[in-house]
Amino acid sequence: MTLKRRRQLAGVVFALPAIALVVGFIGIPIGQAIYYSFTQWNGLTSTWIGTSTWTQAFHNTNLWTALRNNGLLLLSVPFALAIPLCIAVLLHQRVAGWRIFRSIYFLPTAISWVVLGLVAERFFAYQGTLNSIIHALGFSHVSTNMLGYESEALIALGITFVFTMIGTNTMLFLTGLATLDPSLEEAARIDGAGRWRIFRSITLPHLRRFIQLAFVMTVIALFSALFSLIFVMTGGGPGYATTTMEFLIYETGFNQGDFGTAALYGLILFVITGIVGVVQLRLIGSNE
Amino acid sequence: MAEITFDGVTKIFGDDIRAVDELSLHVDDGEFMVLVGPSGCGKTTALRMLAGLEDITSGSLSIGGTVVNNVLPKDRDVAMVFQNYALYPHMTVAQNMGFALKIRGQSKAEVAKKVGEAAAILRLTEYLDRRPKALSGGQRQRVAMGRAIVRSPQAFLMDEPLSNLDAQLRVEMRLEIARIQRLLGVATVYVTHDQIEAMTMGDRVAVMRGGRLQQCDTPQDLYDHPRNEFVAGFMGSPPMNLLRVGLEANADGIALVLGSQRLDVPTSYCSSHDLPTVDGPGVVFGIRPEDVEVLDASSSDSIMTRVERREALGAEILVHLSLVDAEGDNAVIVNDSGAFVARPTRLVAKMGPRSGVAVGDQIQVRLNREHFHFFDADSGLSLRRNQ
Repeated sequence: MTLKRRRQLAGVVFALPAIALVVGFIGIPIGQAIYYSFTQWNGLTSTWIGTSTWTQAFHNTNLWTALRNNGLLLLSVPFALAIPLCIAVLLHQRVAGWRIFRSIYFLPTAISWVVLGLVAERFFAYQGTLNSIIHALGFSHVSTNMLGYESEALIALGITFVFTMIGTNTMLFLTGLATLDPSLEEAARIDGAGRWRIFRSITLPHLRRFIQLAFVMTVIALFSALFSLIFVMTGGGPGYATTTMEFLIYETGFNQGDFGTAALYGLILFVITGIVGVVQLRLIGSNE
Repeated sequence: MAEITFDGVTKIFGDDIRAVDELSLHVDDGEFMVLVGPSGCGKTTALRMLAGLEDITSGSLSIGGTVVNNVLPKDRDVAMVFQNYALYPHMTVAQNMGFALKIRGQSKAEVAKKVGEAAAILRLTEYLDRRPKALSGGQRQRVAMGRAIVRSPQAFLMDEPLSNLDAQLRVEMRLEIARIQRLLGVATVYVTHDQIEAMTMGDRVAVMRGGRLQQCDTPQDLYDHPRNEFVAGFMGSPPMNLLRVGLEANADGIALVLGSQRLDVPTSYCSSHDLPTVDGPGVVFGIRPEDVEVLDASSSDSIMTRVERREALGAEILVHLSLVDAEGDNAVIVNDSGAFVARPTRLVAKMGPRSGVAVGDQIQVRLNREHFHFFDADSGLSLRRNQ
């Protein structure tokens, strides 16, 4: 056997365990989901019903509502990036007490999203903190009940989501800022740049890759990690106002016992996140 | 274009770290001033205060006659070349060089013209569209220079700009920087720890140590007439031999006590130097390696030494010599380790490449009587009068 051949063989042998894991834990479940999407499955027995699940699903308004909710929640992503960016830049200036602020901003990251959801639920509730603050400010005739109205519940969820992402993204941007050579900023100061110009022309271009990474992580979290917040805060309601694809899968499978349709929704979410992932990878890959 | 004046400038970091202590220095318009000294001597801090990157604790600093203590870096009209070049990695060479002009609101055509002119001077024209990471170390260094000269500033500040280059490139760029500085005639403050750079580039050289200015003179004056032991030991490679010796009266005047040997001091030194009395604490005697000459035969003004080590450098040989007594034992020379600078007990001599000396040889050497140096044994200051 030639050396080249032996090396190739060694490569295959070393890759085998990883391939087995990917096939076993990702490939097979996806295959099963595809299969179950053509069946009526109550969790125990499945009956092949062909494409009728597919045609019914696409006529289900709840699916379109969930997709729309996911789309609307994407509007929170710029806030989940811009706010941490501002905080990170301020902390990087070593403002008085920056160490304490850094801990405070990172704290939400260390707390379970269930707890954060409970806190947010108490914050937005009719007799919650938000109304107390409004009343304390002297607007006693004004009261909100964001979680109680279809038109506002999604906004409350979006705000909570932004809050939960602040810690992680702030840390990410602080890490990025720490890798910025301070002499670049000094050179720019001598070149005549003011603070804003330095931020725009030196800091922001340097942070580009960190911002892209934060964007990817935030979008992934938005599609696949909101379940606990929704479950605790609104249970998907009022109506379907805060039901996302992820929550709809749970609803359909475990509340309605329709695992066939749930499997189909899972496939749709998989395809959407796949497309988003590819677009994001292209975006990052385009940077040299 | 302008002159620069440090007037009693002090920088204290934290509560008590005096990085720069009462620095007073004047740089003329168009002059190339080199700040040199070992690590931590305060030279970079002095430069950063001049750039406006560090606050001044006390004293006054002026550029072109205007006190700039509280003027922002962007309003000082100085350009700086950093040790690591500090090129903006996401900008092309042309953008890097034109950044300052763009900020000042100059038109695109004007920026392109000035960048083109600077690139021509620095032979960078073909690299204008490249990013810094696609350039060699020498090219990056030239871009950093280009960024400075394109602005036609009042002064250039350079912080060890050659220290990241290999030896050959450093020699090339040394000449290049000196050429450009003469061409533009802008006052330049250049910081380095390399005394060869200091000697070859500076119109004047300011030697610093422990935050204090030790001496500021032309390179040759600095070499020929160091004001203290530190400057004598710092400038020159290898440095000046410094031996602590006693003095003794003899028939003609005084002699240096080198173990059991005696070396007559020419009487002219008694009038040109404030030599201590013969029964005093002695002096630090200095002699440059090139002023130690090997003799074939014994003479009245020679001393006996033994070759301890031999370093062949190609063009010359450095020979480390120890003084010997009449019996051939090594002579005892006072070596006080707590002194102003560490003083070796050996002499280093520069010899021609064909010198046949070998380790262990006992040889007679003559010390050039024209170039003796004497320093106070306690303060380290030169004993020469009329400095």
